[in-house]
Amino acid sequence: MLHLYRVRLRARALQECFAIVGIAAGVGLLFASQIASNSLSSSVGQLNSGIVGNAQLQLTARDAHGMPASLIGRVRALSGVRVAAPMLEVPANVVGPAGAESIELVGADSSLSRLGGALVKKVALTPFAGVEAVVLPVPVANRLGAYEFGTTLTLQALGHTSEAALYERLTQRKIGPLISSPVAIGSLEYVQQASGLGGKVSRILVQAAPGRTAEVRAALQRLAAGRLGVESSDYDERLFAKAAAATNQSTQLFAVISALVGFLFAFNAMLLTVPQRRRLIADLRRDGYTPPAVIAVLMFDALVLGAIACALGLVLGDELSIHLFHSNPGYLSSAFAVGSELVVTWQSIAISVIGGMGAASVAVLSPLRDILSRDPLAAIATRQGTGGGVSRLATLAGLACLGATLAILLAAPQEAIVGMVTLIGALLALLALPLAWTVAAVRRLAPAIVSAVPHIAVMELRSGRSRAIAIAATGAIAVFGSVAIGGAHSDLLKGLDNASADMNAATDVWVSAAGSSNLLMTAPFAPTAQAKLNALPGVREARIYRGGLLDYEDRRIWVIAPPTNASPLIPPSQLIEGSYSSATVHLREGGWAVVSLALAEEHKLKVGSLFTVPAPTATTLRVAAVSTNIGWAPGAIVMNADDYAKAWGSSDASAYQVLSKPGVSPDRLAGEVRAALGPGSALAVQTARAHEDTLRSITRQGLTRLSQIATLILVAAVMAMAAAMGAMIWQRRPRLAKLKLEGFPHRELWHTIVLESLMLLGVGCFSGALFGLFGQQLLDRALNIVINYPVVSSVGVVVALSSLALVTASAVLMVAIPGWFAASVPANLALQDE
Amino acid sequence: MLELRDLAKHYQTAGEETVRAVDGVSMSVAPGEMVALYGPSGSGKTTLLLMVAALLAPTSGKVLVGGRDISSLSEREASHFRLREMGFVRQNFDLLPGVTAIDNAVLKLLKGTPWKEAHRRVQPLLERLGLADRLNHRSETLSMGERQRVMIARALSTEPKLLLADEPTGSLDTQRGREVLELLTELCRERGVAILLVSHDPQAAGYADRVLALRDGRLSSYDPAQGFAPAEAQ
Repeated sequence: MLHLYRVRLRARALQECFAIVGIAAGVGLLFASQIASNSLSSSVGQLNSGIVGNAQLQLTARDAHGMPASLIGRVRALSGVRVAAPMLEVPANVVGPAGAESIELVGADSSLSRLGGALVKKVALTPFAGVEAVVLPVPVANRLGAYEFGTTLTLQALGHTSEAALYERLTQRKIGPLISSPVAIGSLEYVQQASGLGGKVSRILVQAAPGRTAEVRAALQRLAAGRLGVESSDYDERLFAKAAAATNQSTQLFAVISALVGFLFAFNAMLLTVPQRRRLIADLRRDGYTPPAVIAVLMFDALVLGAIACALGLVLGDELSIHLFHSNPGYLSSAFAVGSELVVTWQSIAISVIGGMGAASVAVLSPLRDILSRDPLAAIATRQGTGGGVSRLATLAGLACLGATLAILLAAPQEAIVGMVTLIGALLALLALPLAWTVAAVRRLAPAIVSAVPHIAVMELRSGRSRAIAIAATGAIAVFGSVAIGGAHSDLLKGLDNASADMNAATDVWVSAAGSSNLLMTAPFAPTAQAKLNALPGVREARIYRGGLLDYEDRRIWVIAPPTNASPLIPPSQLIEGSYSSATVHLREGGWAVVSLALAEEHKLKVGSLFTVPAPTATTLRVAAVSTNIGWAPGAIVMNADDYAKAWGSSDASAYQVLSKPGVSPDRLAGEVRAALGPGSALAVQTARAHEDTLRSITRQGLTRLSQIATLILVAAVMAMAAAMGAMIWQRRPRLAKLKLEGFPHRELWHTIVLESLMLLGVGCFSGALFGLFGQQLLDRALNIVINYPVVSSVGVVVALSSLALVTASAVLMVAIPGWFAASVPANLALQDE
Repeated sequence: MLELRDLAKHYQTAGEETVRAVDGVSMSVAPGEMVALYGPSGSGKTTLLLMVAALLAPTSGKVLVGGRDISSLSEREASHFRLREMGFVRQNFDLLPGVTAIDNAVLKLLKGTPWKEAHRRVQPLLERLGLADRLNHRSETLSMGERQRVMIARALSTEPKLLLADEPTGSLDTQRGREVLELLTELCRERGVAILLVSHDPQAAGYADRVLALRDGRLSSYDPAQGFAPAEAQ
């Protein structure tokens, strides 16, 4: 078999190389999108397990103020507890010689390393207990410019500023994949002091004795008495999964589309070698090979091609994921410590390899009917009816898929991914129809044109239908993905922009705890500067804004608590149910809240219903209105700042809203405030406009990956189509030579090739754009209804037309070049082929 | 109609050796006349055909069609010559798959002729070739003989002065071969088309007005009983 392969390879090395490149590109695309899809979630999971190690349970504080550290003794005393390790985690900003970085500041004592978590098991915490020092992963330390032991770092946490020395740089050898985690580890005492949370911890990790987890959980629940949370140790991962659901679903969708484009890329490439394989099948059958033996020979081909191509594809995918698909946690880093490492799982490799081998096998075995035929020469026999009509079965299947998509759009938008898959199915199954219609239309128009060009183009398209549909499908899927996701992306951005404009409309200047991770202004600090700010000449009023993140079952909710005299008090463009004016009046009165739709639905809340906020002091509020999620995927609650202070049992602020006197510009006001706070302040000052711009840019950052993948899919599709068309045209050189022999000049043959490509790619891309607009509506509805994003629905005709024009024009341009050379074939080739 | 004057094509091999593929061939074919050209493989038949079809420039000599020397035409002029003044019928049926017989037959005519007019002109030709009831059948549903007849219709559709037939019966059985040759000679005589036929098939000789042989690039007289004999033919 190997000998047979080697002998044949010499005669068709070019085609085989092209097929390998095609499959490799497909595998690469699929692999890169898989890595992108998994990296964020895996990063959170790795960091969490790197900290919690073997702990099964945790006792958690309900807010950023933590819980008394004295509880640790009571937890250790519980029967069945093997290890109990206290931790204090606070969002912080570290400033080093070369820059600043937002990190999760983790304070722990030596008991944490007994849990065996990768992050701390090799970090000796004992020697620097009580010392003002931190350890940093090497990449974080490098970005800060902290290269040596003892480098002084400034830490800003919860409105407090302190200094610490660099104790150790954590290398990859020590902490493995956690090297990319944005953390700083210090002793528990130091972190308590640096954050102003003396005597507090945020979690107590608990490892129960074997078989006693349930017993320990029950004991912890008694100890918590409803004021603290008792959760399993992977709670953060579950919260993150909910928060990242929208991003992950979009990435999964892209992975599906990438897989399809990749598969078609590979399939198109493999089709190039089909004529040779058909001849091989006929030769082998003539020489007495049985069908199973022929299949074995072909499968060996698939194995060799697939293996080489998959290896190349994995390398390509890895490079793509490093340079193009680099994960960007965006706004999620406001609530979770998300690293930027790329996580490659064995599942990603397996899926990509299966895809590549599958494409190779399907394409190699495409003449299966001929292999199994009783006629040994069936594979090279001229087929009857190759240019026949559109399959009725495919049309029916396509219509059924379209119906299913419509049903999902109307009745089950939460199944949007399934809907997108059925829509792609419909697109592929029905694609032959518009292609047949276009060919028929051109055929009908052609008699009016005194030129052989449209006739030959139509004849060529009718004579190679399978290849034509495969090429058109590649373009259709790429444009579909680009239009559907690009359109939904743009609608989502419009909605998010509205939400951030509403959030910033109530103030001129924000003052909040420093650090880019405090984007949602959830880090509390003591409002000691209010009087000083109110005394500034440009200040009309400095109000206290409160807000935080609240773990509400499996959602990390954003709680927004503006001062009662803020205007607007609630974001006006975000209400779904209830009256804006009466909701504002109710919120000002107190005892009322606006809840986002997903929360309202989960807890069966209507306007006027009562519900209990699981704050440190459980507080019952009445629903004043129902809103979107105000741009935070897990959901949001809006209440007034006074209600927040009561429920959280703290008068801490999360930000000051500073309003200017008439005639004072926000920039001047910000300058005054900055000067008043002084250079060493742990508070950051930003105009409302600048904060809105930051929010917009972070929101876009989080969604950049989608745009990058969409672009890459488009580029890959253009290349796939151009390559497949180019190869198809190149293979047609003998036929072009025959036409030349008949007297058709070079330019006319070239025009024929360009027209044929234009028809094929135009039909594919137009169908893709049309279905893409349908897909956009499906995604808009899913984002709106299921995740409650503030989507501004539209029909993205501009996106559709631009993608359609871009892909068609670039692919036709790319085809025009090999087309020109193919049309230059000498006519005498027609005589030499015999 | 066709006149070759001392036509030669010489190639230089890598070893600096001169290969005389065609070496001083002179011959002529009158309108309505069929001349059959025989020759073993490597005798120079294909090179000769390429020069007659204005696809290959001769080293020396002339190819005159209707008195015009076509050996020095530009590529554009040569294409126009092949399209309008010459027909080509070959052993392989160069029909487009999935396309009807009549659409395949009008292909050459479509350049410069409206589609309806092209169909109107080709239909009687196809009917004359016995394909009246097969006009709208796809090429792959036609028999070998029918396919060759579609090729003849295509070749004659532009009313050429010269028809080159390269092994036109090579893929047909004796009966179908005979039918095709009969139709070809009949039609060409009716229309005054000069035919240069290249074939190994002895039955073609029965239809040719003259038979010539080509060996080692030179013309010989041909006697089926005695084989080739060197002689300058006219």
